[in-house]
Order: sequence, then C-alpha cells, then structure tokens
Amino acid sequence: MLRHFFTLIWNKRKTHALLIVEIWASFLVLFGVLTFLLSNLRNYREPIGFSYEQVWSMELTNNQDTTDVPAKVESILRRIRAYPEVESASRMSSNTPFTMNNMNNSVSYQNASTLAEFYRTDESLYRTLDITMQKGRWFGPQDRSARYTPLVINQKLQEKLFPGENPIGKTIKKDDTHFWKVVGVVETFKGKGEYMNNTPAIFEPLTEKDWDMSILIKTRPGTDATFEANLVKDVLAMVRNWGAEVTYLTESRKTQHNLTLVPVIIFGIISTFLLINVGLGLFGVLNLNIARRRGEIGLRRAMGATERSISLQFLGEIWVLASFSILLGLLFAVQFPLLHVFDMDAGIYLLAMAVAVVVIYLIVTLCAWYPSRQASLIAPAVALHED
Amino acid sequence: MIKLQNVEKVYRTSSVETLALNNINLTVNKGEFVSIMGPSGCGKSTLLNIMGLLDEPSQGHIEIDGRRVESYQDQKLARLRNEKLGFIFQSFHLINDLSVLDNVEIPLLYRNTSAKERRELAREALEKVGLSNRMKHFPKQLSGGQKQRVAIARAIVGRPEIILADEPTGNLDSVMGNEILAILQKLNADGATIIMVTHDDSMARQTHRLIRLFDGTQVQ
Ligand SMILES: Nc1ncnc2c1ncn2[C@@H]1O[C@H](COP(=O)(O)OP(=O)(O)OP(=O)(O)O)[C@@H](O)[C@H]1O
Ligand SMILES: [Mg+2]
Repeated sequence: MLRHFFTLIWNKRKTHALLIVEIWASFLVLFGVLTFLLSNLRNYREPIGFSYEQVWSMELTNNQDTTDVPAKVESILRRIRAYPEVESASRMSSNTPFTMNNMNNSVSYQNASTLAEFYRTDESLYRTLDITMQKGRWFGPQDRSARYTPLVINQKLQEKLFPGENPIGKTIKKDDTHFWKVVGVVETFKGKGEYMNNTPAIFEPLTEKDWDMSILIKTRPGTDATFEANLVKDVLAMVRNWGAEVTYLTESRKTQHNLTLVPVIIFGIISTFLLINVGLGLFGVLNLNIARRRGEIGLRRAMGATERSISLQFLGEIWVLASFSILLGLLFAVQFPLLHVFDMDAGIYLLAMAVAVVVIYLIVTLCAWYPSRQASLIAPAVALHED
Repeated sequence: MIKLQNVEKVYRTSSVETLALNNINLTVNKGEFVSIMGPSGCGKSTLLNIMGLLDEPSQGHIEIDGRRVESYQDQKLARLRNEKLGFIFQSFHLINDLSVLDNVEIPLLYRNTSAKERRELAREALEKVGLSNRMKHFPKQLSGGQKQRVAIARAIVGRPEIILADEPTGNLDSVMGNEILAILQKLNADGATIIMVTHDDSMARQTHRLIRLFDGTQVQ
C-alpha cells in the first residue's frame, strides 16, 4: 500500500517540486523567526540580576563648568544620600541600566579572552540596585588602600575567563603597572534589561579623578514626583549652571523593552502573514490538485477505496511532501548550530527546529484537511462521468 | 446475482429534473453475459453505475446475492465493489503517473494483499489480456486497445464475480473492439457474470441477452 503511494508521489515529483520548495522556504523562514523569538524568550526568563523598582537615575551635566567636577559630583552624591526619602545612592558610569550607552572592552586571563561590559561605580551600587552576590563581596573600604584595583564580575565572565575555577582572589593584568583582583561574583547583570543576552560584565571602582556623572537613587516606597522636583532644585542650587535630569528606571526599562519588542512583533506579524499566505497557497494548490484528479478518485472508489482511504491518501501525500521539504530544510538549519553562526545556544536552534517542524505539519494538515475531505465526498459516479 | 426492483433515478439540479431511469425491474443471473443498448442519454451508464454501487437509486431496491444493499454504509459498499465487482470504462480511467503494473494492482491495494502477491496477481491478469510485455510502460505509451486491455486486467485482477463494462469498445476500432469482446467472452466462459453497455448491434448479438432502454425505461 505505502509503496504504491510512494511510487505515485515519486512519479509526480515534477508536479510537486514547487510545493516542496514552498514548504521548504516557509520552514526556513519559520526557523529563523522562531530562533529570534525563542532566544528573546529565553533571555527574558533569565533574571536581570538587579532591582529597578523605586530607582531613579540622575544625569548631571556640568556644561561650561570644568573645575573640580569629580569633587562636585561627590558632594552632590553626599547631599542626595542625606535625604530621608533616599535609601541608597550610587555614582555610576554613563552605561546605567536600560540606557543605550555601552562601555565594553576585552579582558583576558591566561589564554582566555572575552569582551565584557565595564561598569565604573562605587562601593554602594550593590545596595542601590539590590544586586545578589554569588561569591565573595562587593568592593569596600578595605580595598581603598590596596595596590590592586578590586573587581566584581558576573558569573558569565567567570565562565569565560575562569572556567571551573574559583575566581575570587585571581588577578588580571590591567596594564603594565596595574592589577585587577577579583573580589566578588554576582549572578547576572543584564544592564539592558530582560531581553538582553546574558553577557560578561565587570564592575570596577570609580577613582577620585573620574568624571562619571550618573547617579542612581533608590528611594523609599511612596516617594513621589514632589520629592523629585525638590531634589533637582536642591542639586542645581549646589552647582551653578549645571543640568540635572531624572528618569525612573521603570520608565527607561519600558523604552528599552519596546526597542526589542517592536522588531519582534513586526517580525512575528510579517511571518504570520507569510505563513497564512503559504497556507492559502497550499490550500489552493491542493484544491486544484484534487479537482484535476477527480477521475482518479472516482476510479479508486469504484475499485473499492473507502471515503476514509481517499482522505488518507491525499493527506498522506502532502505529509510525505512536507516531510521531504522539512528534511531539506533541516539540512540547512543544522548548519547554524554546527557552524556556530551567531553566538547562540544549540538548544535554542534545536527548539526552533522542533517547533518549526510541528508548525509546518500543522499548517500542512490544516490546509490539506478540507480538500482531502472534499475529495472523499466526491460521488464516484459523478467523478467518473466527468472525463 | 443482481436484482433491481422498481429502480428509479432522478437527477435534480436547481433548474431541471431529469428522470434518468424509470421503474426498472431486472435480474442478472450468475454466469450471464448481458448487453445493454439504447440511444445516447437513455440512462445506460446510470443503470450500470447503480448496479455497480457507484450511484444510489432515487427509489427502488438493489439486491446483490439476495441481499439488499441500500442500507449499506460506505465501508461495506467499498468492500462489495472491491470484492464482487470489476469495472471497465469507455475512457479507460488509467492513472497516467503509474506504470501499467501499478495501475493493475489498484484493486488489490484496498484489501489485505501482500506486495509480492499483488505483483503476481497483476502479472497474471496482464498475461490474460496479452500485455505481459508492457508492464513497465506508462499509459501514455500505449495504444487505445492496449489501454483498454490494461483496464480489463485491472477489472479482473481481484477475481470479481461480476464485470461491469460501460462501452468498453466505444473508443476503439472494430478490430480492437472484437479483441476486447473476445477477452470478455473468455472471462464469461471462465465463470464471470458480465454486463456490458454497447452501441454496437453485432457485439450485442454475441451476448446471451440484450436489454434495451429508451428514455430511462426498459423496452426489451
Ligand atoms: N450527474 C448528472 N446530473 C444530471 N443529469 C445527469 C447526470 N448524469 C446523467 N444525467 C442525465 O441522465 C440521463 C442519462 O444519462 P446516462 O449517462 O445514463 O446516459 P447514457 O445512456 O449512458 O448515454 P451515452 O450513451 O451518451 O453514454 C441523461 O439525460 C443525462 O443528461
Ligand atoms: Mg453512457
């Protein structure tokens, strides 16, 4: 039975070529879109590693004033910390959470080397952002007079530079005269938000000479915009002709999310339309195919085929074609994990493949269902009568 | 073997109603070779289709081997068509994408026959119609007479007791036509009951019995 139908499909391969190409192409598109969606989803499910609720970011601008800038920023920070509404405040380089700013550099340890995001900050950031330590500690007063520069790294960096080792106490050469020493490891730190890929991160202390002018302020629950206005007014009173702008991290997080979600949604919509199109095309082709084969259907019925076996024949044919197309598609798709195209987990690719396979079979079945059913309902006498 | 009682067939479309068969009473006995004649449009094919369970009468009863089949569901009808009946059509109805051998195997697909046995039976059937040298050919590579012989092989491969032929020689010249008739006569001699629609008087005369239709009514 099966051999008979395989022969039939094989002998009709030229007629089927276009259909195969169509299914193959939609499989690949689906695979691409799903990889994109799933990697975002996977990122989303990974914790960002800090808390942004009640945290404000104040961006200072010194404008023309260039005298004693680091000291002025420090005194502003001290002033901010003095408010009862403020739980904790930290200075930070301009790559504060959910901004577009980046400060990455490569770091190496022995033979390993990787790109990492550098955050310059102070001893209290872990409190301001409620960062969970996994090993060791955040840098503190005990490091101030040390000859090395203390570092806190995230686990991703540990995996890259110190695989299988305890990184605490390890030193990394910074330049000819300076050393970094790892004092702590945090779980994750995804500064760009949930959709960001978990990448290596390094926190190093600000020095007295650094001009970094972002201040993260963790306020007490219930603190409102009135305090914000007072805060800005007070700060600006301290430094003439400076500027100060406050944004809530919850707001910038939303903006950052939209940057990721908008393309995801656009991609999703486009590919949904594409799949609907493919589905309709398939439906049309199958309908036509069945209309052309009414004679064959009538004949098979006359020879003893039941309605069910006619339905199954047509469904089976499309499944064989889909399987063949998917197989061709998989040959392409497996190249991505094999050749490590894009820095992505093989798991994501495999999951995308699996989901794409299921979706293609679903679409194909859905589109073939009705025509196949119609085919089985054709009255044999009528079908035979026609040609 | 086949018995029709008060069979009536009405084709209804939205605008017209055609009475294709009117009160047909008819019995075909085992081993008979019956021919059906009549002018075009008088209902010959309709009658054959009803006898072959390809179509349902609007009224009346059909008995096959003494059993009424009106209430039969799709599965049972398909089984009857498959096991009891063999069809031969004027336009052959071969599947162009299948070889001669694969075409002949079709009825055996719908019963439990192993691939090996199917091949053997198909070969045998093709031998009976004198086409064993064309098994790997495709229908497009055959003449009309050869195509009809493939169709006959397909009709007999499942060893049905009844063969229904709707103008089997209609598309063929008289030499080919006589060849086909000879094959049918041989099958009849071997025990098959044959009902054949024809336009050809000389062929009808070579059968046991002639049924004449006129405008859906049996006149002889
Ligand atoms: N599916 C159908 N729908 C409507 N009318 C039909 C249908 N099939 C047949 N008829 C009508 O029924 C009548 C009998 O048709 P049938 O095909 O049985 O004639 P026939 O005797 O086989 O003719 P021919 O010798 O030309 O093959 C005709 O008038 C035809 O128009
Ligand atoms: Mg006819």
